Amino acid sequence: MRDSRRARLVLALLLLTAFTLITLDFRSGGGGPFRTVGNTVFGPIERAVTAVTRPIGSFFASLGHLNSYKSDNAKLRAQNRKLLEELRTSDANRAHLLSLERLDHLAGQAQFRIVAARVVAIGNALDFEWTATIDAGSNDGVRRNQTVINGDGLVGKTLAVGPTTSTIRLGADPEFTAGARLAGTQESGFVDGGGHNPMTFTMLNTRAPLNVGDRLVTAGDTDNHDRPFVPEVPIGRITRVLPTPGQLYRKAVVAPFVDFTSIDIVGVVVAAPRTVPRDSLLPPSPSPTPTPGPGGTGGTGGTGQQSPPPSPGTTSGRRSTSPSPSRTP
Amino acid sequence: MSRRTALAGAVAITALLLQVTVIDRLHLPAGRPDLALVCVVAFALVGGPTYGAVLGFGVGFLADIMPPADHTIGLLALAYAVVGYLAGLVEDVEERSVVTTVLMVGLASAVAVVVFAMIGALLGNAHISLSAVAHSLAATVIYDVVLAPFVVPLVSGAVRHAEPAG
Repeated sequence: MRDSRRARLVLALLLLTAFTLITLDFRSGGGGPFRTVGNTVFGPIERAVTAVTRPIGSFFASLGHLNSYKSDNAKLRAQNRKLLEELRTSDANRAHLLSLERLDHLAGQAQFRIVAARVVAIGNALDFEWTATIDAGSNDGVRRNQTVINGDGLVGKTLAVGPTTSTIRLGADPEFTAGARLAGTQESGFVDGGGHNPMTFTMLNTRAPLNVGDRLVTAGDTDNHDRPFVPEVPIGRITRVLPTPGQLYRKAVVAPFVDFTSIDIVGVVVAAPRTVPRDSLLPPSPSPTPTPGPGGTGGTGGTGQQSPPPSPGTTSGRRSTSPSPSRTP
Repeated sequence: MSRRTALAGAVAITALLLQVTVIDRLHLPAGRPDLALVCVVAFALVGGPTYGAVLGFGVGFLADIMPPADHTIGLLALAYAVVGYLAGLVEDVEERSVVTTVLMVGLASAVAVVVFAMIGALLGNAHISLSAVAHSLAATVIYDVVLAPFVVPLVSGAVRHAEPAG
């Protein structure tokens, strides 16, 4: 063992400096100058390194083109078709193309204007964070707090944005939270990333039904219609309803549509229409969700003005058409 | 000293870049090794506590500002500085066995996680929960220990090569 007064002095000074840095950054709310420097300096380097470490090189060039378009989806689609013809050779390329097409499909349906990007780095400081660097930045029109999607649904949101790269917080991150809404019943709440634990949904209405298999979409924000989350982006499916007796909310485990461990091609939503048709972006359900009956929980207001038109005449007789009920032996 | 510093800087930056662009992209089951941390320990074992602390601080600071990072800047600088100092304390053990080295790396990883988690928790970082800390402790220590027998001899060899006088 060897120790010296000098070493301890140096350590003390370093710790003091570190605490100063922490305090400064904490006060600035994470948008300090060092973060900007880091993004500007290391973003391009990460892009370069990933371009080498990722086996497919040629696809990258094509996608770099795509990035610069940041125009409407028709252009992207045309580019896709061209790429599809060019790159029929490799399975990996085809997989990438497929995910790009699915992203394009989702964005096209919602009329989102997206900037397509690829993940160049994953962040996971000491196993506590779920973030990623993507190869699109402020030069491409990306801003802070924008929704990031892929063909399956919600990926996350943008944090610090550099000139050519941005950091995104993934939905699996424990600090991730987004307003969410149950498809069908329109009950609202929010989803939280869980880190190594699963994502959860917290529903604010304790009386509304919450069932396994229900699907969640982003709720969007009424004030800023496209920040941080645009509405109607598919999030996931309820897999387990957790018991919350006596609480003012209900909680459920969510299986996200997006596989956060294999994200590659993503799209940053840079502009969204004011309204997106309800539940229009959800994938086709394997088991059709039962439409809520007219005599459900919707009648508390009594006005009937805002309730969706469920055409009660067609659904009311659903029992009578079924064959004879089961008989007791 | 200057050649060793240059070597350490180059190795550390390479390690940090490989970490975010390759290792973390692999999405290994349950966690990931911290390549930069193992490198800091390896250099500190050769260079002593002052050297280890300064190097740890520098590498940690770079890890703090490297893009996908989202935690408060300074947290990793603090954690790695402590780790570098502690690893440097056992520097001049003449016959350092592989077991000692591996134990040092495991201990250093645990210290880094605990320091990071404690200060992070004080700042109200939502990433830090008891289960997350337990998970990170287990995963980081195990993966780093697995990495240590490969990285530490490489670094020692490189330092000896850079400074033949040693």
